[in-house]
Amino acid sequence: MNISKLWIIISREYLNKVKKKSFLIITFVAPVLFAGLCILPSVILAGAKEEAKKVAVADYTGYVADSLRSSETVLYTNLGDTDLGITPELKPDSEKLTAVLDGSGADAVIAIIPLDSLGGSIAATAYSRKDLGMETSQLIRRDINEAIENRRMADYERETGLNLVEAMESVHSDVNLVPMRVNEDGSVAVSESGVLSILSMILGLGLYMFIMMFCGMVMSSVIEEKSSRVVEVLISSVKATELMFGKIIGVALVAMTQFLLWILLTVGILAVVGAFMGFGNLFGAAMDPTGMATGADLSGMSVIFSTLGTLNYGSLLVCFFLFFVFGYLLYASLYAAIGSAVETEADTQQLQIPLTIPLMIGMFISIYTMKAPDSSLVFWGSMIPFTSPVVMLSRIPFDPPVWQIVLSLALLVATFILMAWFSAKIYKVGVLMFGKKSTFKDLWKWFRQDS
Amino acid sequence: MAIIQIKQVTKTFGEKTALQSVSLDIPEGRIFGLLGPNGAGKTTLIRIINRITIPTSGMVLFEGRPITDEDVARIGYLPEERGLYRKMKVGDQAMYLAQLKGMSRSDAQRELKAWFERFGAQDWWNKKVEELSKGMAQKFQFITTVVHKPSLMILDEPFSGFDPVNAELIRQEILRLKAEGATIILSTHNMESVEELCDEIALINKSRLVVTGGTEEIRRRYGEDNVEIEYTDALLERRTEVVPRAGANARLAELIAQGVTFHGFKEVIPRMNDIFIKLVTEGV
Repeated sequence: MNISKLWIIISREYLNKVKKKSFLIITFVAPVLFAGLCILPSVILAGAKEEAKKVAVADYTGYVADSLRSSETVLYTNLGDTDLGITPELKPDSEKLTAVLDGSGADAVIAIIPLDSLGGSIAATAYSRKDLGMETSQLIRRDINEAIENRRMADYERETGLNLVEAMESVHSDVNLVPMRVNEDGSVAVSESGVLSILSMILGLGLYMFIMMFCGMVMSSVIEEKSSRVVEVLISSVKATELMFGKIIGVALVAMTQFLLWILLTVGILAVVGAFMGFGNLFGAAMDPTGMATGADLSGMSVIFSTLGTLNYGSLLVCFFLFFVFGYLLYASLYAAIGSAVETEADTQQLQIPLTIPLMIGMFISIYTMKAPDSSLVFWGSMIPFTSPVVMLSRIPFDPPVWQIVLSLALLVATFILMAWFSAKIYKVGVLMFGKKSTFKDLWKWFRQDS
Repeated sequence: MAIIQIKQVTKTFGEKTALQSVSLDIPEGRIFGLLGPNGAGKTTLIRIINRITIPTSGMVLFEGRPITDEDVARIGYLPEERGLYRKMKVGDQAMYLAQLKGMSRSDAQRELKAWFERFGAQDWWNKKVEELSKGMAQKFQFITTVVHKPSLMILDEPFSGFDPVNAELIRQEILRLKAEGATIILSTHNMESVEELCDEIALINKSRLVVTGGTEEIRRRYGEDNVEIEYTDALLERRTEVVPRAGANARLAELIAQGVTFHGFKEVIPRMNDIFIKLVTEGV
């Protein structure tokens, strides 16, 4: 290999791809989407905290309205037994209702009507100009029922002399299962396998997508040079293998640039938006496992953040980098060989199949990883080189033994070297074959021919 | 001295033999015509000289020693199937190809500017190749072939696609490069340009070298050895006769006796075209 020529090829390939509009669009649009995905839950939570609904209660039972407690979301006002002109069919007089609704300035008027003299059954109806929304209605319903239950319990106590509230409290059980994971070093941390599953799936799918995307780039680039015939001039100046590897390395650098920009831009957008909207540091919680894991509230977002916080991002990044690079190199050299055999993208369909199938199998196994991270299917999938980059990466959140990661990587690198040698032989002959459509038989012949 | 010596080169692709022990000397500073019908093995031979293809057996010497990868920097190659990156800017592409031939950035820039000026193409630099007309792209490709001042240029059908004005421009450039000491291998089916430009030729047919030598010598060797007599006869009609050289004197005496007016008497040199067809079809 002539390093200076290789470098010239790499830089052309790199600059050419990086200056493309599609590269710029993907690089700058994707972080906006990523950031949006991170920010959206917070926005939804913030959006949910709208102004409290004013609810006027026309209470004909005489006790419900008194025990309704206003909260952040609902403000109750007691109208007493204001006359709504309720008919025996429980329908209010529309004129009176409108007057009360407008007069009180409430969002809704609730009529609570006892249906029998003992108060055994009670009807409640909410009248509002705008829909109250599912959550508010549920909340009001709960409040009303609580009021009625409290009243009934008080009545029961008065009649029997038993303290029912205490009895209820003493029998009530609310055990919360806290999932904790024991790490290699014996330390214990909150785990939420759901979060790990999602992360595992994202990693597997992401790697599959990136390998496809950047290998596709290598293949198109090979086809472009062949179909435009510029390749013959090029390989009269440099060796075919230099051209092929220059191209593969150039595209790898494009991928690295894209990843780096994605990370920087996403973090940048989150920081700016976070500061602007006052969400605080969205990552702060995630990066500080101890604060969250020891906290009392182990539900919802805090579990997600504390789980994410327990992950070793350094080793995750290193694994992503290694498995992406070698998975990419393995497939890219094979895709380059396929590209060298055809003159148009359309002709690649059939020849690509032996490459897309193992890659897809890898992706499917990686989805299975989140269900059974320790199954033998997943183990073998993460060892066999053609599926291993995708499957092994999806295993990383579940902390596989280090020897397995190293073995998988070693097998991958060895296979890459073998396949690169194989592909280079095909490529050398293939790029100069014009005219007829090539088959696997031709590829094999070219491989044998170049000795 | 021969810049390229091809020694017993054989190239087989599986069952198929593309070249069968071809030996050839290409003298320095001359224009060497490489002729042959389609599929004869010319492109394979050119690719072997370029080190794109490695021969199955035999060897190629460059200036007397086995050719190496470094030597290809001193070769300029214009393939028959022209090709450029269509979406790349002309200037960037020219710089790229020049640097692949081992030129430094500054040298490449300077030389390219000079060539662009000579071809009146200064304003192409920032255009994309796809914006150039076919003729412009051909000229541009010619520039990229010769910009690194190669000692040996291999031009495969260099005139195809050019209008007569531009073909003449390229012809003049080829002659100028020759005058500057470059060796040129010209592979073409255009026999007129062979007659006009080539000092020596080689004809390849069915993977074998059929003939090689000086252009004039071959034309004479394969000529019918005829002479042409031009005269106006007694009926005032102008006539041209081609007769074998052996019978020329007798025929002349005859005509003198008839009292015709002579206009010309010259040796007939066969056209390259006829020799080509004869050698290829008769398999001499």
